[in-house]
Amino acid sequence: MRVIVVLGHVLDPRGIAVNRRAGRVFINRREYILQPADRCALEAALRIKDEMPAEVVVLPRSPLPDDDVLRQALATGADRAVYLAGDGLAAADDAAMARLLAAAVERLGGADLILTGATTLDTGQGQLGLRLAEALGWPHVADAWALKTSDDRLEVVRQEGAGYAVLEAALPVMVTVAPGALEPRYPDGARLINIYRGQGEVAAALETWDAADLVDADALQPLLERRGQEFPPERERGVRASGGLEEMARSAADALRRQVRV
Amino acid sequence: MDASYLDLLMAQQEEVAEAEGGGGGIWVVADLVDGGVAPVTLEAIGAARNLADSLGAYVYGVLLGDGVADLALALYQAGADGVRVADHPALASFAAETYLAVLADLFAAEQPEAVLFGATDMGQQLAARLAQRMGGGLIEHTVALSLDEATRALQASFPVYGGEYFEIAACPQARPQFLTVEPGAFAAPFIDPYRQGSPTMLDVTPLEPAVRRVGEADGFAPPPVPLNRARLIVAAGRQAGDFALVERLAAALGGQVAGDRGARDAGWIESGQVVDLRSATVAPDVYLAVGIRGDTFHNAAIEQARFILAIHPDPQAPIFEVADLGLEADPQQVLPLLLQALE
Repeated sequence: MRVIVVLGHVLDPRGIAVNRRAGRVFINRREYILQPADRCALEAALRIKDEMPAEVVVLPRSPLPDDDVLRQALATGADRAVYLAGDGLAAADDAAMARLLAAAVERLGGADLILTGATTLDTGQGQLGLRLAEALGWPHVADAWALKTSDDRLEVVRQEGAGYAVLEAALPVMVTVAPGALEPRYPDGARLINIYRGQGEVAAALETWDAADLVDADALQPLLERRGQEFPPERERGVRASGGLEEMARSAADALRRQVRV
Repeated sequence: MDASYLDLLMAQQEEVAEAEGGGGGIWVVADLVDGGVAPVTLEAIGAARNLADSLGAYVYGVLLGDGVADLALALYQAGADGVRVADHPALASFAAETYLAVLADLFAAEQPEAVLFGATDMGQQLAARLAQRMGGGLIEHTVALSLDEATRALQASFPVYGGEYFEIAACPQARPQFLTVEPGAFAAPFIDPYRQGSPTMLDVTPLEPAVRRVGEADGFAPPPVPLNRARLIVAAGRQAGDFALVERLAAALGGQVAGDRGARDAGWIESGQVVDLRSATVAPDVYLAVGIRGDTFHNAAIEQARFILAIHPDPQAPIFEVADLGLEADPQQVLPLLLQALE
């Protein structure tokens, strides 16, 4: 059984400060972490590997400046990772990445299951997994909380209103995993060191493919264009609710409703 | 002149005429909730109406479901110029394949400029797959829309890092432009009771679903969320008075219970639930400080919270300086009222 995990990186939110008055994002510490939802997807794949013989292959979800997250995934227990590089790749958006990844999956010889995060921590976009399913012509299950596989079937638990439901699908299928669904494991220290030293079989498990070999340059043209940033008004702290108890309670409830959208 | 005559006159004038041949337009795919049209769909139609008026385009609504033809009126009244209805038992609950096939056929024929979905479970899935199938761009969780007149492209803002700031993006070339609209982000439209029209029915060919629902997941419990990743925290302090009320409030809001060191000393919470710079820092969307005075260590630990609501009887309590909204009141008196107001 082959499980492909598509994962990406994100700027650690603890290292950035948003200054609303200046209208700028200050990056104090440029440190990248694995997308939390992708990390859960990797954990789901590794749990399948714990249960049955399976090969876990890792692919990047977006253009990456370096292969650190792939090395991290290998150290955590993945068997093989493919770093995608290429000139036209840097600007690729989710639509282009879906085409590129579909071609990469074909070149890997297909898979039984593809897992990725249901959403990204920074931009909150969840389209990549579903776009990839469409590009491959596979069915999908979005926002999975738990997975169970047998040889040719998959059982997935997903949220349904206030409760959870079990879905069943025949393989191959694409599943996006909800952030926080599983408690992810940590990378193995010795494997991590070996990967960076280029020693042992883990180091050999990392390959680099050129995007130009997989798809035409046209297919990598992004559809979306960034048009800038917008900052919410500066927070006005120290506001007190006025009136009697009931009036205060009502204004607090209104404020909470606006924030939580209950 | 009596009112019924006026009604008749208005109704005649407001009979919505659709353009012949179609083409273009802004389309909204409706979400249904409890047998009615979801508020997010009406909000999306309102947003589409504003844009369409600037573009000189029509707004269309699409309804998919079983026995939903009557709901078309709600879309007309919210501002749709035309409504397409796919009414079939196979569409009674969301089935990705059949829904996608109906929408892909419709949009291939109509060539919309933009297609809006609610940023709901269904909308998110349909939008992403349709966008890939039709070669369109997709911007998810849109909270604001503007128009780039040069390219007729919609510019959409979406929250980054949970709303710390917003990124603006557009899809200048490819059509249709797909967008999912965050519930509650746009104002509900004016409902014009005089608007009406006759919807066009669509053909539905049911497809065999590849993913089958087996049943409810009995006994499944999601893993506990650690305090530093909780989205909503209700924290108690020494002045909280009745801790049971704090727990009830947390349950009502779907949040986690925490507290300051005072609450731990009172035996209300475990030491793992203490919010304090020396124990755990938190970054929830909403932090409710109930009866917490707010010393330096506590206030520094909640610095990253997006919205802080404080309830404390002492007007001088330092917690009020960091709170977005402060209630100078005894929690024991105000919490029952707050619970009532939230219902």
